Amino acid sequence: MAGSGNDRPLKQSLKEYARGVAGGLLFSFPMLFTMEVWWAGFIAQPLDLLVLVLVTFLLLLGYNRYAGMHPGVSWRSVMVDSFEELGIGLLLSFGVLLMLNRINFQAMGMDEIMGKIIIEAMAVSIGVSVGTAQLGTHEDEETEEQEDESVNRDTKSAMLVLALCGAIIVGGNVAPTEEVLLLAIEATPTHIFFMALVSLLLCIVVVYFSDFRGTIRRGSGSNNGILYNIVFDTCLSYIIALAGSAFMLWFFGRFDGVNFWTVVSQTVTLGVITSLGASAGRLLIK
Amino acid sequence: MQVEKRDDKPGDNGAKDKKNWLEWAVFGISLTLVLALLGYLVYHVFTDNPSSPDLQVEAVADPSELSPFRYHITIYNRGGTTAEEVLVELALEKDGAAIETADLHLPFAPQESKREAWVSFSKDPSQADTLVSRVVSYKKP
Repeated sequence: MAGSGNDRPLKQSLKEYARGVAGGLLFSFPMLFTMEVWWAGFIAQPLDLLVLVLVTFLLLLGYNRYAGMHPGVSWRSVMVDSFEELGIGLLLSFGVLLMLNRINFQAMGMDEIMGKIIIEAMAVSIGVSVGTAQLGTHEDEETEEQEDESVNRDTKSAMLVLALCGAIIVGGNVAPTEEVLLLAIEATPTHIFFMALVSLLLCIVVVYFSDFRGTIRRGSGSNNGILYNIVFDTCLSYIIALAGSAFMLWFFGRFDGVNFWTVVSQTVTLGVITSLGASAGRLLIK
Repeated sequence: MQVEKRDDKPGDNGAKDKKNWLEWAVFGISLTLVLALLGYLVYHVFTDNPSSPDLQVEAVADPSELSPFRYHITIYNRGGTTAEEVLVELALEKDGAAIETADLHLPFAPQESKREAWVSFSKDPSQADTLVSRVVSYKKP
C-alpha cells in the first residue's frame, strides 16, 4: 500500500507485536487458568458469544482511539489496530489452550472448542491492546503534544472508555469465579451497603489524589469546579464499574433465574473490584 | 483540531498510518479470522436449535493389574446443550438382579463431546451376565 521508502521499519513493528503478545498474556493468564472460564466456553449460547465479540470490539475501538498505541489517529487506523488485536488474541488463545490441553480435537465438539477459544481470546485481545500501548516507552512525544487539544475536548468520553476498560481488565479475573455468587448470596443487605460505600470511597480517594492534583496545581477553575468534577468523576466511575460488573456477570450466566436482589448484590460485590479498576485501573492504562 | 483534519483524509500519509508488509500480513490474517469467526457465530445464531442434553454411555471391560474388575466408560453427549453434574449408575446384573452397582459423577458433559472415566467393581464381572448402565441425572448449567 504505502511506498516502500515510507514504510515503518520492520523491527519496530516486531517490537510492537512482541509487546502486544507479552501484554496479552500478562493480563489474561489468570483467565486462561480459570476453569469457570472454560466452562463458560461450552455453556454460552452463540448469541452470547456474538454479543461478547461485538462488545470487545467496541471496547478495543474506544481504547485504541483514546489511549492505545497511536491515540488520536484516524478511525481507519484505529479499526486496523482493533482487528489486529482481535486476531492476535484469537491465535494466542488457541495456542495457550492447546498447550494447556484444554482443546482436544478428538474428544471435543466444535462448539466447545470454539467457545473456549472465543471467550479467552476476548480477554487476551484487550490485554494485547493495553500491552502494546503501555509496555513500551513513549517514542512519539511530538504526537502527545499534538493531541492535547483533542484529548481535552474528549476528556469525558475518553474517561468513560478507559474506565470501562479498567473495570473489565481488573474485574475480569474475578467475574467468572463462583466466589462472587457465594459472597453475594451470603451477604446481608448491611454488607452490600458497606461494599457499595467502600467502592465509592475507593473511587473518591483515587479520583481526588491522582486525577485532580494536576487540576489544582494548574489552578483551573474555582473550588466549586473541583468539587463538581470530583463528584461527577466519582459517580461516573462507579456507574461504569457497576455496568461492567453487570455485563460480565450476565455473560457468565449469573443472572439466569435469580431474583432482582441477587442481581443487585452480585453486581455490587463484583463492583468493589471493578470500581477500583474503573478509577485506579483507568489511570494505569491511559 | 489537527486530529479532525486528519480524520477527514483517511488516505493521509501521517507517520502512524504507514504499514510494512508484516503489518499488512498480520492485519490480513486477523481480518480473515475475525470475519470467519463472526460468520461462524451468526450462522450458529440463526441455525442453532438448542436441544436438551442426550447422553449415551459405553462400557468396555478394561482390567488392569491393580484393578482386575475395571471398566472403561465413555460418555457421549449427543444433544445440543451441556449437561452439568452427570450421575451415571452402572450395575452388574445376573438374571435381572443387581449383584453390585457403581456410581460415576462427571462435573460436565459438553454438547457434542465425549468424556472418559473408569469404574471398578469389587466382584468379578464374569459372575454377572450383563452390565447395565443408566444415566441417572444431570442438570442444566
